[in-house]
Amino acid sequence: MWSGTQRQLLDLILDELIPPGSDGRVPGAGAAGVADFFPSAARYAPDPVGAITTVLAAVAANSPDFASLDRAGRVAVLKEAESEEPDSFATLVRLTYMGYYSRPDIRPLFGVGAHAVHPEGYPVENGEAERLAELTEPVRARGAIHRD
Amino acid sequence: MATGAGETGKDPVDVLIVGAGASGAAIAWSLLETRMRILCLEQGKHISDRDFPSRREDYELARYGDFSCDPNVRMLKQDYPINSTESCITPVNWNGVGGSTINFLAHWPRMRPSDFRTRTLDGVAEDWPVDYAALEPFYEMNDRNVGVSGLGGNPAYPPYRPELPPIPIGRLGWKLAQGFNRLGWHWWPSDVAILSRDHEGRQKCVNAGTCDLGCAAGAKGGANFTYWAVLERARMELRTECRVREVLIDPNTGFATGVLYHGPDGQLQEQRAEIVILACNGVGTPRLLLNSKSKQFPDGLANRSGMVGRNLMFHPLTGVSGVFDEPMKGHEGPMACSILSQEFYETDTNRDFVRGYGLHAGRSTTPMTYALGGYGIDRPIPWGEDHREIMDNVYPFVAGLTVVTEDLPEEHNCVSLDPNLTDGDGIPAPKITYRLSENTRRMLRHGEERAKEVLLAAGAKKVLCSDDGNVWWRAGWHQMGTCRMGNDPRASVVNGWGRCHDVKNLFIVDGSIFVTAGAVNPTSTIQALALHIGDNIKNNIANLFD
Repeated sequence: MWSGTQRQLLDLILDELIPPGSDGRVPGAGAAGVADFFPSAARYAPDPVGAITTVLAAVAANSPDFASLDRAGRVAVLKEAESEEPDSFATLVRLTYMGYYSRPDIRPLFGVGAHAVHPEGYPVENGEAERLAELTEPVRARGAIHRD
Repeated sequence: MATGAGETGKDPVDVLIVGAGASGAAIAWSLLETRMRILCLEQGKHISDRDFPSRREDYELARYGDFSCDPNVRMLKQDYPINSTESCITPVNWNGVGGSTINFLAHWPRMRPSDFRTRTLDGVAEDWPVDYAALEPFYEMNDRNVGVSGLGGNPAYPPYRPELPPIPIGRLGWKLAQGFNRLGWHWWPSDVAILSRDHEGRQKCVNAGTCDLGCAAGAKGGANFTYWAVLERARMELRTECRVREVLIDPNTGFATGVLYHGPDGQLQEQRAEIVILACNGVGTPRLLLNSKSKQFPDGLANRSGMVGRNLMFHPLTGVSGVFDEPMKGHEGPMACSILSQEFYETDTNRDFVRGYGLHAGRSTTPMTYALGGYGIDRPIPWGEDHREIMDNVYPFVAGLTVVTEDLPEEHNCVSLDPNLTDGDGIPAPKITYRLSENTRRMLRHGEERAKEVLLAAGAKKVLCSDDGNVWWRAGWHQMGTCRMGNDPRASVVNGWGRCHDVKNLFIVDGSIFVTAGAVNPTSTIQALALHIGDNIKNNIANLFD
């Protein structure tokens, strides 16, 4: 799919698109292994590998040594690539989000269960009838608001 | 009893229903007691609850692939493409047994009495030939069949009481309700076709938050779980993967004689019927009629009024979000259905628009969908450090309000046949021509400002609003008005009980017959209308075609 050099570059790019959290708790998209999602993403974009290869080429052309740049430098190169190849870059961003947030190990970092949502679902505190009656009382008290 | 097309002959049936969605299923149930031979043709398939994506760990991906609400994204064999390049909203749907109730969000408000009398009350659009009082018994009948949860006593409606208690309104619902109360504005727990407790053999909602991906629990009152369960036990005949191409007409009598349809193998077949009922939604039904041309009907069947395909109405939407100081857990619980405010529903002459809108407190969504811009929107959030900031410090704390506006009928908003695009069977695809009216734009602006006020009153520390004047792209869930009802055959397609003015054994029962759109989700009214029409067919059976 991609050479070792390309894969290294791709992981660095991904870590800029979704950077790691400052406390190290949340990984960036590169470290999370999102690159492995792309080859199977044809259902979500017409030519995912083609689009990503285009972005890789644009980045490499603009910055032969992307890895040596600091964060600000990498972002500047990526913005340049985004302006040169807007469609391919948009595809990369979209697929990165899909690959990242579809991972069961990532969702809990944002307060969402890792599990498939059926059959377990989520326990939700029910609106106790008394509390709901109390909260709706002012609405009832104002009377009907429909026209017949 | 689902069968393949090849297993049955051309024997005439008494009633042929095209479409196995919300309205087709409801009218089939209504007519079941007549013991007429009823056949339903459905272009899609059955989908088992075992196949719903919410059972998969990567369930969110399905929203952008095989389970997208957008047929132009799904592109499954049973889907037809829709050209919406000349529209700011694209129609969404599901083609299969249960129709779009497979992926609808089951929000279940009724239309209000004034919605049926907008000409009389407000001088706009047209009055319906039926009113709230006439439909009320059918709303009740339908609610019993579907299983509706909610809280009685809503002052926005004449009295009625949902059978089941409300579903949890969730943390964001409690928060926003307090905001509405502080402003002295109406709100109420949403009526939903979702079970808040086990009911008639169906399991209560597990708060999975993925109603759009099919309800694997069976708690959502989709027609697949409600009406079709009864119809199949009664062994009513259903042929799946059968796509109707054309309604046939007898040139001598002017009556419909049946349909031509493509079976699962693509072969064209004829099915004859005494009564034909169309239940293909507000896009599919005009498409079928416009494709049914003959010497008698050169502009499309039942189209002497020229109204077939015209007056397309959606519910244009926009959203405003507030960022609170505690997690809102918006991914837990039924997606769209927490609380609904109808404070601004009715016309107020002090405003710069007529009619009104609802403020819907839906829940938020899962991280992927939020990162991609939200449900119904294709506008990913920024990448880079801004992404990190939004997902860490905004997403978990968000509660939103959706402004759902009433769309008034305008003839230039329409469904036509695309001259080039076709579906997999070579049938011309529908083309949507649609633009927002100035009245709707004013309503949206007004709604955004009121939503901001509510969010701030509820304690939001920051309010997020695009303010760009755009509406949600994939917001074409509700497709209405394209074969509207009316008493005047020159200005409407069907009469007050769904019978085509021009073809007296041809009925339409889906959302295309709506005269106005209201500002509420339409499925409750679509099914109530279908039951009303079924009742009229039964009551007039002796002289049905007079």
